[in-house]
Amino acid sequence: MSHLRVEQLKYRYPNQTGLALDGITFTVNKGEFIGIAGSNTAGKTTLCHAICGLVPHFFKGAYGGRVLIDGNEVLTSTLSDVTSKVGFIFENPFSQLSGAKFTVADEIAFGLENLGLSREEMHARIQDSLHMLGIEHIQRKNPFDLSGGQMQRLAIASVIAMKPEILVLDEPTSQLDPQGAREVFNIVEKLAIEGMTIVMAEQKMEKLAAYSDRILLLHEGKLVQDGDPSTIFSRDDLLELGVEPPIYTTIAKKYGLCRNQSNSFPVTLEELLTFEFNMPLEGLSSTSEKQSTSVIQAEELSFSYPDGQKVLHTISIGLSNEPIAIIGQNGAGKTTLVKLIKALLRPSAGRIVIDSIDAKDTTAAKLAKKVGLIFQNPDDQIFKRTVLEEVMFGPLHSGFSKEEAKKMALLQLEAVGLSDKAEENPYDVSLAERKLIGVASILAMDPEIIIFDEPTMGQDYQGKLRLKEIIADLHSKGKLVICILHDMDFVADVFGRTIVMSQGKVLFDGPTIEAFSHQDINRQAQIEQPHRFQIARLLQERRGFVNQP
Amino acid sequence: MRSMTLYVHREKGSPLHRMDPLTKLLYVFTSVIISYVLADHLSVLLVLAVSISLLIAGKVARFILPIISVSFVLLASILIVQGFFHPDRATVLWEIGPITLYKEGFSIAFLILLRVLNMVCAFGVLILTTKPDELVETLIQKGLSPRFGYVLLSVLQIVPQMMTLTGKIMDSQRARGLETEGSLWVRIKSFIPLLGPVILRSLAETRERSIALEVRGFNATGKRTRLHRIQPYKYGFALKALLAVVLLSVIVWRIWS
Ligand SMILES: Nc1ncnc2c1ncn2[C@@H]1O[C@H](COP(=O)(O)OP(=O)(O)OP(=O)(O)O)[C@@H](O)[C@H]1O
Ligand SMILES: [Mg+2]
Repeated sequence: MSHLRVEQLKYRYPNQTGLALDGITFTVNKGEFIGIAGSNTAGKTTLCHAICGLVPHFFKGAYGGRVLIDGNEVLTSTLSDVTSKVGFIFENPFSQLSGAKFTVADEIAFGLENLGLSREEMHARIQDSLHMLGIEHIQRKNPFDLSGGQMQRLAIASVIAMKPEILVLDEPTSQLDPQGAREVFNIVEKLAIEGMTIVMAEQKMEKLAAYSDRILLLHEGKLVQDGDPSTIFSRDDLLELGVEPPIYTTIAKKYGLCRNQSNSFPVTLEELLTFEFNMPLEGLSSTSEKQSTSVIQAEELSFSYPDGQKVLHTISIGLSNEPIAIIGQNGAGKTTLVKLIKALLRPSAGRIVIDSIDAKDTTAAKLAKKVGLIFQNPDDQIFKRTVLEEVMFGPLHSGFSKEEAKKMALLQLEAVGLSDKAEENPYDVSLAERKLIGVASILAMDPEIIIFDEPTMGQDYQGKLRLKEIIADLHSKGKLVICILHDMDFVADVFGRTIVMSQGKVLFDGPTIEAFSHQDINRQAQIEQPHRFQIARLLQERRGFVNQP
Repeated sequence: MRSMTLYVHREKGSPLHRMDPLTKLLYVFTSVIISYVLADHLSVLLVLAVSISLLIAGKVARFILPIISVSFVLLASILIVQGFFHPDRATVLWEIGPITLYKEGFSIAFLILLRVLNMVCAFGVLILTTKPDELVETLIQKGLSPRFGYVLLSVLQIVPQMMTLTGKIMDSQRARGLETEGSLWVRIKSFIPLLGPVILRSLAETRERSIALEVRGFNATGKRTRLHRIQPYKYGFALKALLAVVLLSVIVWRIWS
């Protein structure tokens, strides 16, 4: 008997007209690793909710069809029966905190206490999961005082510790540094081998291709195809469905590397490397023309949070003239640095000068026209009742009239592709869309400096494309763009200069291509080379190896 | 911002940090009752002095100040209303133009002020030196139902949670040009656009929390366990007995005299 079975599932959110899920049917066996791919509004999160019972038990609305877990129907079971078997890791880790515990370790214990485990067992499982997710060093910290990526690690640890039979993960690595993301996939794969059934929605197609047994391709609430990764990613219409195939497949298509008998393309690095071809390392990273822009100068900057942890150690950097990427491990202090630049936090020592204004002599509000910051967690940024009002707030408070503000807001909503959602409640749109609302609401103020904190988080192909356009456009208008990122491909595609941070220090500052060629820096900052670099490097090594006598 | 809790962590602890939550809870109860049973300024002042010395012993005296300043608005209004409008007006204390301040009213107002201050400080002794989860934990292990424990915890968390939320929304608003720093007037003005969002967001967060609880098995019907064993407190019994004796004797003395 299949472990999880979905039959003709249909669902519509309350007060909505379109179906969020439309006639979905598939089965999953015990220990299988199923990936869910699809564009931002394809219904991935809703499908996850339906499997763990939140749809229809928490989110009401119109429901049809059946979801069966071990033969028991979700609709007729109680929610606590379903959740005792199905563990669910939220898209936004903040939403998953119990709010009842005050240290990281206790937060993990919350679920275990509800399971009624013995103390010894709990301590063992807590230590285990802390170790797996690499968060032992912060186990005594308050869960609400973590960086985005640390919180995501905690969210994963707290569900894995409960050892559910079925584990549903909704973009669990969206805020993790590259090595952290790889570790999570390895952990999940190991759990699958041990017999846990895995269902994971993810935008990192290279990872889905490498780790899943099967992939469900969703589009506008419908299941387009249920097949193995190479079948799914060899489709010709993927981009039209809003899904970018793994980079390996794109390269293979470009070079015509196809197994002639089956018409399927390689989808993982290993498969790609079975072919003979040559790809130059040159031209892999972009360099944009320098512009004269605003200048940020940080001098000997240090910062500690009130709980005493020293987060930044005498950082000195100058930022100007070209789009700049900031990368580095979770908890390195990236978000803290940009909050200091925006004067939301005050340095413990040192100073920040923005175009000859000392940040200490001004306020965040006065800086609003100069510096715009898009927050890492969009939910921390959004507070209005409709999307339009949200985007209008900035212009209204920088002295524009209502009509002008509305015009500017609509223009920016257009740019991020959310014009048709202007009248909706921001809480009714997806997390990725909320992130774009955050982008629009800052751009509407037309600041001189725009800082994005992880803009690509959870974005699909279209969303990333839009962001690239927006960044190029801003740069061409002479604005200074700074971007914190965990998506190394995006970094290489867009930015000529990269700053690598680790443990509150700047490890490297210079041309992007160089940032990735220092192996020790990559290791220390928990980053990885962009996929194209990896491929080119491996090909080069192979050639070098062959050429030796 | 200390997030989501008023508890003040002290690396080396303090006698108060080590005291068990039930004893501290009994202290709050005793101290507040006594301050109401006694009616002369001097003795209430004495009770207040005890609470303040405990705060000092717990190395958290500094942290009571923001809480007092929040209650200050409340206190000031009590003072004014009582001072000006108390019915027993006999002795004139001050006369400022048309306004007369009477001694009786003022005296009562002062007493109330002392009592409220003592209440805040006594609660401070408990709240500032006890982790909220530890307090609830103790009560649960004494037989409170875990569900009710969670409700109690949420109630204890309302203030710090609101503070965190307000901080976040203010950050977002000032990042977009709404001035929140500067003179008192600027701060008061920035308060109004906060109200709507704070209510909206706390509703949204409450909903999110309840989803999180469901998913984390909070509504499971099986037996629950607890991670932390509550350390028995050596002086717990003696202190509680002492508090009970003090409370009883004050009440008895009051009824007799
Ligand atoms: N409000 C806070 N109170 C106390 N410590 C905090 C707070 N916010 C962050 N920290 C700590 O400061 C360090 C740096 O956090 P920061 O958010 O700047 O990291 P980051 O580089 O942005 O990481 P991520 O990639 O996970 O977003 C972390 O170790 C974190 O635990
Ligand atoms: Mg961050």
